[in-house]
Amino acid sequence: MTDRKHIDVTFRICGAAGDGSLAAGSFLNHAAARMGYHIMNIDLYPAEIRGFGKSVAHTRISDRPVQTPGELADCLVALNDPHAISELNTLAEGAVILYDSNPPNYVEEDEAVAGFVEPGMIGYGVPLGELSAIATKSARSRNIVSLGALAGIFRIPAEYLRDAIRARFSRKSAEIVEMNLRAFDLGHDYARTELVKADAIDFGERVPGARDDVAVVSGNDAVAKACLDAGVRLYAGYPITPATRIMEILAKELPKQGGVVVQTEDEISAIGHAIGGGFAGKRSLTATSGPGLSLMSEFLNLAVMAEVPVVVVNGQRGGPSTGLPTKTEQSDLNIAVFGGAGDSPRPVIAPADVTECYELTVKAFEVADAFQTPVIVLTDLFLGNRMEDITWPEGDSGRWGRYEDRLADPSDGEEYRRFEVTPDGVSPRSVPGTPGLYYPATGLEHDERGFPEYSPENHLRMTEKRYRKFDTLRALWPAPEPEGPDGDLEVGIISWGSTIGTAREALGHLNAGEARVGGFFPRLVWPLHNEALRAFSARSRVLIVAEGNHSGQLANVVESIVCREIIRVTEIPAGPISSRKIIEAAGGMSG
Amino acid sequence: MASEHYVIIGNGAAANGAADILREGDPESRITLISREFFPFYNRHRLRFFISDEVSEDELVVRPPAHYREQGVRLRLGQEVQRVDLKEKILYLKHMEKVHYTRLLLCCGGWPRIPEVHYTYRQHFTVLKGLSHARAFREKLAGIKRVLMVGGDLISVKMTDTLLRMGKEVVFMVDRDSFWPLTLTDEMRAGFAERLTGHGAEVLVDDEITGIVEVKSGYEVMTRRKEKISCGLVGAFFGLVPKVEFLYSSGLDIDRGILVDDHLRSSDPDVYAAGDCAQIWNPELNNYWVSIGWENAGILGEVAARNMLGESATAGTPKDRALDYEGVKVNTSWWQIYD
Repeated sequence: MTDRKHIDVTFRICGAAGDGSLAAGSFLNHAAARMGYHIMNIDLYPAEIRGFGKSVAHTRISDRPVQTPGELADCLVALNDPHAISELNTLAEGAVILYDSNPPNYVEEDEAVAGFVEPGMIGYGVPLGELSAIATKSARSRNIVSLGALAGIFRIPAEYLRDAIRARFSRKSAEIVEMNLRAFDLGHDYARTELVKADAIDFGERVPGARDDVAVVSGNDAVAKACLDAGVRLYAGYPITPATRIMEILAKELPKQGGVVVQTEDEISAIGHAIGGGFAGKRSLTATSGPGLSLMSEFLNLAVMAEVPVVVVNGQRGGPSTGLPTKTEQSDLNIAVFGGAGDSPRPVIAPADVTECYELTVKAFEVADAFQTPVIVLTDLFLGNRMEDITWPEGDSGRWGRYEDRLADPSDGEEYRRFEVTPDGVSPRSVPGTPGLYYPATGLEHDERGFPEYSPENHLRMTEKRYRKFDTLRALWPAPEPEGPDGDLEVGIISWGSTIGTAREALGHLNAGEARVGGFFPRLVWPLHNEALRAFSARSRVLIVAEGNHSGQLANVVESIVCREIIRVTEIPAGPISSRKIIEAAGGMSG
Repeated sequence: MASEHYVIIGNGAAANGAADILREGDPESRITLISREFFPFYNRHRLRFFISDEVSEDELVVRPPAHYREQGVRLRLGQEVQRVDLKEKILYLKHMEKVHYTRLLLCCGGWPRIPEVHYTYRQHFTVLKGLSHARAFREKLAGIKRVLMVGGDLISVKMTDTLLRMGKEVVFMVDRDSFWPLTLTDEMRAGFAERLTGHGAEVLVDDEITGIVEVKSGYEVMTRRKEKISCGLVGAFFGLVPKVEFLYSSGLDIDRGILVDDHLRSSDPDVYAAGDCAQIWNPELNNYWVSIGWENAGILGEVAARNMLGESATAGTPKDRALDYEGVKVNTSWWQIYD
């Protein structure tokens, strides 16, 4: 929450699908980021088609870096009262509710959000519909009026929001732009002249430091840009929430770089196409979600067995089955790591934030090529859809290791052994059609030249070879640097993926007091760096694994490695896991 | 009784006193308090100490929000009733919500009164009724040396003491009808003037404002007898007028305030009124009277609530109760309960 020295405000803009709440949130994000604030946004929307259900833009704005979108909101903007009423339990103490003070019709008792402004809350009524009608002759710009009112109430520099509105409508006519700016100004002026300020949130017209280089992007945006920058030539996919955005971007941008996007008939076909691209020596990927990854599991095994580089980005959502298409979860670790028949090793990488979505997707292609293997990148709906202010990384920092492709020497000729058993498990790769470097590629167990061979001795040798890639990868990929104090820890917190931010927030909170709490946050979640993990465990009196699934999927893996009791902080709240849960668990164990 | 929904408009001493009695007497009922103000029930008498920074806003609070939750009382703050349909027993709120009641208690208080003769200067006046006024008062006081107080009601004389203690120079222009609807006698005014002077205020009697000009440093106030008073703030203290405009279309009997009998029942049998907004029938005076004051309001709230519960309580006026400002006594119709 905001104090006199710092701004840290969480907004929830809530309406029915089609009310423009997400657009309003987007304007707020872009404006705040341009002002130099840090933002984290997550849009919550129904699985159904537009016109039904609740849409919420949840945005946290802070003058300090943020690790989470914030659990409770400081301000609720109600563009639809019944939906907003259902959001009241997401509000922090002393929260502000901005509502339409003069809707067209009377409603019955308890059907108006204004009626729920309880002691400790602050209600601001603004005639959103009336002002919208003045500006645009319709109620469609109530969202823009509400933005203006927010700027007026909290003294958010208006010009940045006006710029964001201009940018959004720049492709529309000048009249549309002007009408929306008028709607914004009416809301702003109303708030400044008609409302009596009763809250303590005050941006104070301050701009922490205007940033022109800032990008406000989602995890999916970052993955797509990574694909473009990594030189992907083939994307094949079947639309599925929350991964579709990646295909949408690549469908537009990849052809400009000479690449191809294929929308296939299903996920099985999609991974088949992508494996074909990888086999042909072109960087290829597919993006999907849990149900799609399930369908792809057999083809993934083919890529393991045939040692074909391919990247699968899996945006996790609530499951099993179709599950909760628009709610986040981290429950696909099991299928990513263990899904499929046989012993089927494939690296699994899980970025923690939007910047890492970019960096680690690029790195996933390098690892796939270098180790001739499918690589699964596990994001989730929260990470894929959430917006952050970032500066695009310039070049490879090397912080995730460096990997080189091992290509066969055409002079090997008839001696060429595509699946040669090597100390590091990696064999020389060739591109089909290279003279002299022909080989059979099959899902059958094979000998070093690729011919089917089923003897137990060969199977063991080849299985060990495939697993040796993990040892090599572990040696090249830097082990996680434990966070927090050195030495013995009262509590060690392990987490992965999008929950790392939450865990870090908890860590900061806990270590601000007397506690000694450390964090171990692997991005390479399979294979894990076992020795580093054991060392961290040895330093920790109590070990907690925090993750967004019910069964403790990483906890199960960690438990098998450290062979000790694990405290599991597992949540499937349909939204990101809360730092409060971790703090409570760790707080109860420390001291 | 389980289906009763008692709605109380207001969140001051009368409203809260009534809510307590209603909850105690009818534990299963719904009770709703509706208040235009954002703030929880606070002590208006201590506002001057908030202005002088002797107490914080939190210390003004009489009842924290948790109290209402514990009591099962729904508190609607910052919400305004725009009209009342007595026939259908519906309150129409400004934000376009309907609230149904079975019995209604009006404790809607009063507005700071600006006499007609001073109305043209109203934009230059700083008033003090609620916390939002106190905030403004406090903000305006910062950095100014001299304050002109106009009027002379109970709050103003106490506030003058506070301002003098804060080191401000105070010029006090005593107005004849500041205790509206009472009119101060010459003797009372002289008594007030003597005591205020003794505290260090410059007191002007038999004078009146003839013009106010806003200048960079505050105001220049022209008076009939003294040419010009320079000050940073002009405080206007002329008592209160009942806040009853929203009831004009309801059909309730209203004079200055809501007319109620000595059981505090209005012309509608399910509607009661208490506190500053009510004009209460006084059998002794054989007339209606407007009651003022914090303690008074609390007592009247209890009387009204008892009657809403089906009891028969009346309010009476003990003759020995009067406002006493250092010996200057003004009978302000203090009420007490007669069962």
